[in-house]
Amino acid sequence: MTYLETRRHELRKRRLLMVDGNLTLNSQTLDSGASARAREGGYWGFAATNDASAAGIERATGEARRNAHAMSRFGRKDPLALAGGSYRGEHVYRGRPAIGQDECVQRMAEISAWCKRRYPDLKSTRVLLGDEHHSKWLSTSTGSEVLSSIQRALCYVNFTAIGRDGAPVELMHVISGKGSLADLDLSPDALAEELDELHRHVRAKCAAVPARGGEHTLVLGPELAGMLAHEAMGHPCEADLVLGGAVTGDLVGRRVASELVTMIDVAHTFRGEETMIPVYADDEGTPASDATLIRDGVLTEFMNSRETAAKLGIRPTGSARAYSPCDEPLVRMRNTVIVPGASKLEEMIAGVEDGYYLMKTGNGQADSTTEFMFGISLAYEIRGGKLGRAIRDTTVSGSAIKVLQSADAVSDDLYWNCSGYCGKKQPMVVSMGGPALRVRAHLGGE
Amino acid sequence: MDAKIDLHDTAAQALALMRDAGFDDAQVTAVHSKLDELNVAHNEPSLLRSTESYKLMLLGIAGGRMASTEMTQLDREAVRERAASLFADAKAAPQDEANAVSSGQHARIVQGPQESDRELLAAKARELLEFRERETPKMMVDEGSVCHQWRRSHTVTSGGSDLAASIGCYAMSVFGTAREGGKSSSFNYTGGSADELASRAAPEYFGIARMLRDTQRQIETRPFGAKFVGEVVLTPNAVADLLGWLLGQLSDTQLIAGSSLYRESVGQAIASPLLTVKSRFDAPGVVAVSADAFAAPAVTLVDGGRLLALTPTLYGSRKTGIRHVPTAGGWDVAAGSTPLPELVGAMKRGAIVGRLSMGMPAANGDFSGVIKNSFAIEGGEVGHALSETMIAGNMAQMLKDIAGVSRERIDGGALRLPWIRIANLHFS
Repeated sequence: MTYLETRRHELRKRRLLMVDGNLTLNSQTLDSGASARAREGGYWGFAATNDASAAGIERATGEARRNAHAMSRFGRKDPLALAGGSYRGEHVYRGRPAIGQDECVQRMAEISAWCKRRYPDLKSTRVLLGDEHHSKWLSTSTGSEVLSSIQRALCYVNFTAIGRDGAPVELMHVISGKGSLADLDLSPDALAEELDELHRHVRAKCAAVPARGGEHTLVLGPELAGMLAHEAMGHPCEADLVLGGAVTGDLVGRRVASELVTMIDVAHTFRGEETMIPVYADDEGTPASDATLIRDGVLTEFMNSRETAAKLGIRPTGSARAYSPCDEPLVRMRNTVIVPGASKLEEMIAGVEDGYYLMKTGNGQADSTTEFMFGISLAYEIRGGKLGRAIRDTTVSGSAIKVLQSADAVSDDLYWNCSGYCGKKQPMVVSMGGPALRVRAHLGGE
Repeated sequence: MDAKIDLHDTAAQALALMRDAGFDDAQVTAVHSKLDELNVAHNEPSLLRSTESYKLMLLGIAGGRMASTEMTQLDREAVRERAASLFADAKAAPQDEANAVSSGQHARIVQGPQESDRELLAAKARELLEFRERETPKMMVDEGSVCHQWRRSHTVTSGGSDLAASIGCYAMSVFGTAREGGKSSSFNYTGGSADELASRAAPEYFGIARMLRDTQRQIETRPFGAKFVGEVVLTPNAVADLLGWLLGQLSDTQLIAGSSLYRESVGQAIASPLLTVKSRFDAPGVVAVSADAFAAPAVTLVDGGRLLALTPTLYGSRKTGIRHVPTAGGWDVAAGSTPLPELVGAMKRGAIVGRLSMGMPAANGDFSGVIKNSFAIEGGEVGHALSETMIAGNMAQMLKDIAGVSRERIDGGALRLPWIRIANLHFS
């Protein structure tokens, strides 16, 4: 049986970077093209071209079929029937009309000038604005016909100050949302409270002390919970990694977290609201549905593609997505969230005699063992239930299973973010969210 | 190779359209690229990919105001329209006299295999999979690839620069974990680019065989279980992180923001005398032309620990007053004189670090991270594989604390790196 999918794909990106009022990057790009992917005799063939005309797609289709056929040189393979149904529909976000480069530059200049006036002690202010718009027209031999359009916008503000030891100290604030830059309110008035907070924290970091390395009680702020969800258990619950030997493969139905923890990779709607990266059908035309990875502490299911769902004999979740016109769909997260609990953040901090409150993260990494890490760019000591000194940049790590099993409080907050890229062969736009958690984990330090 | 579109004509026409749109200065690059790639998934050949794309990159400056774009439609009308809208983008930008394009640069570079050999790709995939099955059967190659990449480009500027390149190379990558029973190693990976893949068996390139064998020994792990100050031997994969941090400190963003630790350090010792870092702009897959359209001659950044150059772009140079040093993507850390076994044997307590999983180092160079794919060292003996072990230190201090550089190196193409022994890291 031959499976075929063709995709016309446009990826529009805009990036502007202002360093102390100097516009060092002012770029808009358009990557457009078409791809075809065919499956024959258990092998895949893929071809991509800039030519998205009917003739171009026909040529790519022929090339993809020939490529799949050429793989038969490696011998017979079980031509597993692919899982997944079909979907017909169009999903396009209708945000505010896009703003031009001139308005973007004006907003950056206003933010830069405002910061320079308000925070004269800063060494440097960097402002990065970006948005990107993915449009995909998909057609599959299983009968799917889908237009998917996803947009996201982001603004990074980075402050550099000089620490007490004379070395530079940096801290970044991220604002992100669905739609284009027109959908973010970037006026200095709207940002004042957040930027004042950022400035207060960077000043605190100027006198930061090193973290004490080792295992500690940590309150992970709401900005970190999404990263924990994504890195710690999200990646190990991707079916291709499970097939590759991730330890989660043997843990379905077993307790991997405290009963306070429920974690979902949401397809498109959470608590009645459309998510930041809504996926109604994936790039294989499979209808997308939520994947409940952990329910009340018990590992439940994996995100998958048509092929990995068939190999594992599990329910298709519609999680296969491709980043650019030249990419094939891979199993990717969409909107990964730890479901809020009932505790209050202030009470969670007050309940810690000796530990740390981790507030901001920059990047993270997963592992097949579920041992995760993410960088911490803002954190404070907790002593006797009260916040103390800021600590220097550090890294938090641990076995996700041990860390999530240690969770003894989950706050009622919910913070979403869609500013970063998930990296796995291809980049991908994802969102992540969650509340604050109190756990035991390892902190890097002296 | 098929050349349906004349890149020089395309670039020259686009440059004329940029001038017509009102730009004072412009830089245009037309690119034609092809990829043939054979993918492995879960220890089996899985997918054969062929892609072909054209791209036009435009950068324009009007009255000191700059904007840039990339597009895949190359027809005259599409370029004319985009040049006009790019002019509007530029007019919105603040005036900055540091904006400029290159002038008088000329290069014609043809390098590496210009044609893909699919039989070779298939043969190398077979060799990889046969080696895995025979030598490291507990390894699962989650993702692997063998490919031929080809990129032809032509860059012209209003300053008369005219640079053309046609670069082909082969590349391989392997990513996977080892598994036995219910236990898994951490994932591990390696890869690189080469002008040829025919002279050796596939696992003998880019340290692939070593990576597969090491990973298979990392299924059983345990923590160090102690806090101490010790030493590390960074493998080439981990040395790449240290080099990347150093290169970032020498380039535009940090120099312009004034946050580079080395802004005033040219001519001074910033590292151990054992460290020398040179360009490798003629490496496989690398074209010796900078992104701002300068031919990039060879450069030594660090010689015996002494910093010889910062690497601002033309813009960064005009902004900071620092001498412009064009760079491309290839770097070479000089080999030392110590055989790797001696480098390890001299360590009292520490670890061989296969991979650093860490957050972004702080602006002052402080970092902490989990050491993955790593082995404990006690009294010069390689011990058990490590889990849940972190190290903390400072990148700038690490450069000074280099205590040994191996005679052996791994040639990954764009990076050729040794093993490096470094003291004074905090283990926890």
